[in-house]
Amino acid sequence: MKHPTLRAAAAVAILGLGVSLAACSSGSSSAASDSVRADAEYSGPAVEITFWNGWTGGAAPVLVPKLVAEFNDTHPDIKVKSNAMEWADIAQKMPLAIKAGKGPDVAVGHGDDVATYAAQGLLLKTDDVVDALGYKESDFPEGLMAAGQFDGDQYGVPWSVTPLGLYINKDVLAAAGLDPETVPTDAESYLAALDALKAAGVHGEWADGYVFTGTFEFESLLWQFGGDLFNEDVSEATFNSEAGVKALTWMTDLIEKGYSPANVAQDGNINALIGSETAFNWNGVWQTTNEALQSVSWTAVPVPQIGTEKAVWSSSTHWMFPANKNQDPDKSAAAATFVKWMNDNSADWASTGELPAQNTVREDPALLQNYPALAPFLEQLEYAHYETVSPGITNAMAEVTTGVNEAMLGKKSPKEALDDAAEKATQLLKQNKAQYGG
Amino acid sequence: MADPAIVTRLGGGLRPRRAAAGRRTRTAYLFLTPFLVIFLIFVVFPAVYGLWISLHVWNPLLDDHPFVGLQNFFDLFTPGSLTFEDFWESMGATGIFVVASVPFLLAIPLGIAVLLNRRIKGGSVFRGIFFAPYVLGVAVVSVLWRYLLDPQLGVVNAVLGLLGLPSDIPWTVDVPWAWISLVGITVWWTLGLNTVILLAGLKGISPDLYEAASLDGAGAWRKFTSVTLPGLRPVMTFVVTVTLLASANMFGQSFLITQGGPGTQTRTAIMYIANQGLVQNQMGAATAMSYLLFAFLAIVSVVNFRLQRDNTK
Amino acid sequence: MSTVTTPTATASDTRSAAPEPAAPARARNRRRRTPNVLTYVVLFLISFIIVVPLLWMLLTSFKTDFDAINSPASPWPNPVTTEAYGTLATGNLPILRWFANSVIAASAQTAIILVTASTAAYALARLEFRGKKIVFGAIVATLLVPGVVFLIPNYLIVDSFGWLDSLWAIIVPGAAGAFGVFFLRQFFISLPTEIEEAARVDGAGDFRIFWQIILPLSRPALATLAVLSFLTNWNDFIWPIYVLLSPENLTLQPGLSVLQGTYSTHFGIVMAGAVIASVPVLILFTLAQKQIVESVASSGVKG
Repeated sequence: MKHPTLRAAAAVAILGLGVSLAACSSGSSSAASDSVRADAEYSGPAVEITFWNGWTGGAAPVLVPKLVAEFNDTHPDIKVKSNAMEWADIAQKMPLAIKAGKGPDVAVGHGDDVATYAAQGLLLKTDDVVDALGYKESDFPEGLMAAGQFDGDQYGVPWSVTPLGLYINKDVLAAAGLDPETVPTDAESYLAALDALKAAGVHGEWADGYVFTGTFEFESLLWQFGGDLFNEDVSEATFNSEAGVKALTWMTDLIEKGYSPANVAQDGNINALIGSETAFNWNGVWQTTNEALQSVSWTAVPVPQIGTEKAVWSSSTHWMFPANKNQDPDKSAAAATFVKWMNDNSADWASTGELPAQNTVREDPALLQNYPALAPFLEQLEYAHYETVSPGITNAMAEVTTGVNEAMLGKKSPKEALDDAAEKATQLLKQNKAQYGG
Repeated sequence: MADPAIVTRLGGGLRPRRAAAGRRTRTAYLFLTPFLVIFLIFVVFPAVYGLWISLHVWNPLLDDHPFVGLQNFFDLFTPGSLTFEDFWESMGATGIFVVASVPFLLAIPLGIAVLLNRRIKGGSVFRGIFFAPYVLGVAVVSVLWRYLLDPQLGVVNAVLGLLGLPSDIPWTVDVPWAWISLVGITVWWTLGLNTVILLAGLKGISPDLYEAASLDGAGAWRKFTSVTLPGLRPVMTFVVTVTLLASANMFGQSFLITQGGPGTQTRTAIMYIANQGLVQNQMGAATAMSYLLFAFLAIVSVVNFRLQRDNTK
Repeated sequence: MSTVTTPTATASDTRSAAPEPAAPARARNRRRRTPNVLTYVVLFLISFIIVVPLLWMLLTSFKTDFDAINSPASPWPNPVTTEAYGTLATGNLPILRWFANSVIAASAQTAIILVTASTAAYALARLEFRGKKIVFGAIVATLLVPGVVFLIPNYLIVDSFGWLDSLWAIIVPGAAGAFGVFFLRQFFISLPTEIEEAARVDGAGDFRIFWQIILPLSRPALATLAVLSFLTNWNDFIWPIYVLLSPENLTLQPGLSVLQGTYSTHFGIVMAGAVIASVPVLILFTLAQKQIVESVASSGVKG
C-alpha cells in the first residue's frame, strides 16, 4: 500500500534534485567570453534590443530618448528600447539578470564595473567593436581604455568622463561682502573665503558623508595629499595612510571650525547652494544641467588644491555588451551598430553634463563654444584620477563611504574610521581575488 | 453506489472499512494537492535548499560552489571574519527596532481602540481614516515621510524652526533620530491595522463585566486592568505575535528612508542578508545568517508563547 | 476588594475567538460612557496627523523644484504648476502600469490562496487520513520561519523556472502560506457538523459538502482571508525589489522605490509619483472601506 507521506517525501526529493541540477547546469552554459560581432553595416534580421543606462538626471532624460528615436528611424532593422534607472539599481540588478537571460543587450556602466562584470563572465569581448570604431588608447584620456580591460581582453568602450568641480553661488559671496569674481585656488585662499563667510554668518561649504559627494571630495583630497586608495596590485587598502587621515580630517575640520553644519543630509549640499544658504559645493560636472540651479547666479571652477598635488576625482562611463544566457548574437551585433552610431553622433552629448571621452570630440573648439560652463571641468582632466580597476572593487569602495560617513557624523575620529574601513576593505579585496582572480 | 463513508458508519465489514480509509485518504490528499504542490516547491524545498547552500561558498555568478561545511556559520561567531561585525550589528539594529517599536505599536492602537469603543459619532469614519495609510503601502508612506522629515527640505524641521526650536534635527541622517523616525513612521503606517483588530476584541467583551466592576466600586483604570486587558487576551496574543514578527522583518522603511544609515546603523538583519545574498553574491553566508535569525526568532516566539500561556493560568 | 472573574479562552487555544458579542443593545448603552470632549479631541488630533501629511503630499506635487527647495515650510505652491506630472508623463517610469501590475498580482495570488487554503483546511479540519499529523505539523512549523529564510533559495528556484522579471514570481511562491490554512481550519472546526452529517446521510460526497455547505457558511472568514492576503501582497516590498527587473514589470512598491532613486530630492516629482500611486488605492478603499475594515477586524477575533 503506497504511503502518502513517503510519496510526498519522494516528490520533494526528486523535485529538489531536478531543480538543483538545473541551477548548477545553468551556470556552465556561458563558456569563455565570446566577442561582439562588429559588422560594417548591420545585416542581420530585424531585432529589438534593450539598453540599460543610469542617465536619469539633467538633460539626459530628454536627450537620450531623442537620440534613440533618431537611431530607430534611420535603422529600420533595429529597434532600441532604452531603460534609464539609477546607477545603483543597475549595479544591483544587472548581474543576476544577465545570468538569468533577462539582462539588456547593451548597457552603460562606470569604470569600476567593467572588470568586475567581465570577471563574473557577464560581458562579451569588444575588441572587434573597438577596431571597427578605429579607437586606440591614445584617443582617450590616459588609462581610460585600459579601465575596460580584464585579463588582457577589451570589454568596454569608453564613452564619457565626469570630474568634480567647485560650484560657487555668487549671490551668497556678494551678500557676505566678498568679491564674487575672486576664485579660491588653494588651501589658503579657500580658508580665507570660508572665514569671511563664517564671519558673515554663512556656512561656506556643506560637507557630507555620502557617496555623492562626500566620498568624491575625500578621494580628491586623498590624492592631493599624495595618497592612494589601494596599493599597486589592489590587494590592500591604503586609504587610511597619513594622506588619507589628513584628507578626512580636513573635511571633519570644516564642521568643527564652523564652516559647515553637522549632519548634512543626502544632496543637502547642492540643495543648500540652490537655496542660497551656502557658497561652495564640490560636485560633479553633471550638476551643470541641474534646472533648479539655473535660478541662482552660479559659476564653476576647478577644485582648489588643498594638498601638495593637483588632483581631482572623476568617473568614467563605458559601453558594455552583456553576455546574457542564450544571448542572440544578432542582437549584440545590432547593439554594436547602435554604439558606433552614438559615438559618431554624440556632438550634443555634452548637453547632458558629461564630457565626451573621445579626445577629438572633447577638444573640438565648438564644444566649448556651445557649452562654456564645461571649461573648468575640461581643464582638470589632465590631473584627474579615474576609478580603480579590479574585479569586485565596488564592495571595497563601499567601505570607504562607510568610513567617511562615520567620521563626518562624528561617530569615530578620522583615523579610527579609516582604519576600520581599510581593514574591512582589505578583507573584501582578498575575497574578490579568491573568487574572481584578476 | 453506496458511499464508503456511510458503509463504515453503519458498521460495515472489515474490508469496506479499510477500503474506506484508503478512499478517504485519497480524497483528503486530493483536497490537499493544490496547496501541497506550491507548499512543497516554495516552502519546504527552499528551506532545505537554503541549508544546503549555507554549507557552500555560493556565488551565483560563478560555476564553482565549493563545499565549506559549517564555515559560514563559524564565521558568524568569529570576531574579525568578514561577516561577523556586520551581521551582529544588523541583528542589533533589528533588536533595537523591535524593542522600540512594539510597545508603541501595541499601546497606541489600544488607546485609540478604547476611545473608539465609546459611543462615538462617525466611529467608522475615524476607523477608515486611521486604516488608510496601511492601504497605501509601505513605499508611498516611506517616500512621503522621507520628504517630510528631510532635515533641510522637510516641513517638520521647517515648522520646528518657526516655533523657535532647533530646526536642523537629522531625522533621516543620524541616530537616535533615525530610530525615532523609523518607529514613528511605522506606527503612522500600521496603527490602523492593530486598532481595528483590537477594537473588534473590545467589542467582544461583555458589558456585564464592566457593570459588575462598577458595582464593586472599581474606577476607570481598575476596570481597564481587570476587565479590558484580560478580556482582550486572546486577541492581544494574536496582535502581539503578528506585530513582533512584522517588526523583526522590517525592511522597507529602512531601505527607503535611511538606506540603512548612518553608516550601517539602521541596517536591519533582513536588509543585510538580502544584500549579502543578492547584491554581494555571497549566498552561502547569507543563507547561514537567515537560519541564525530564524533560530533567534524561534526562541523569542517560544518565550512569548510561554509567557502568554503562564499569564492565563 | 473582590476581583472580577473573566471568561478568558483557555491557554491552549489562544488562537480561538474572543467571547461572542452577546450583550443586548440596552446593556451596551448603559455601560458605554458618553464620550467626553477629550475623546473627540484626541480622535480629531490623530485624524489630523494622518490626513495632513497626505494633503501635504498632494500640494507639494504642484510645486516647482526651486519652490520646493526654497520654501519647505509653506504648503502652498508658488507658482502652481503641473510640471512634476509632466516630467513623469514623459519620463519612462510607468506608474499606472505599476498600479495595474500590483492589482493583477495581488488579485491572482489572493485567488490562489483562497482555493488552496480552503481545500487544504477542509481536509485538515474534517477528514481523517494517513499522515494528517505530519502534514499539519509541517504547516504549523513554517509559521515560525521568517520569510528571509526563503528569500535566496526561492530566488534561485524562481530563476530556474524562468519567472524572473515576471508577475508569476510575485503571484505563485507566496500563495502557499501557512496562515491561510491555519485560519480557515480554525473556522471550519468551529462550524457545527449537523448539516454536514445530514448531507452525508443523503449521500453527498466530500467535495459536494465542501462546495455547497462549508464554503457558503465560510463567507466572512473567506472575505477576511481575501482582504488580508490582498493587502499583504500589495505591501510586499523586499521580494519584488529583487525579483522584478525591467521598469515596466515592476509592481507599485518597488516602482516607487525606483522613482525615489531616480528623482532623489526633486521632491515635487517624487510626491507627484506618490500621489498617482495613492489616488486609485484611496478611491477603491473609500468605496469598500466598511467591508475591508470589518473583514480585517474579525481576523483577530476569529483567528
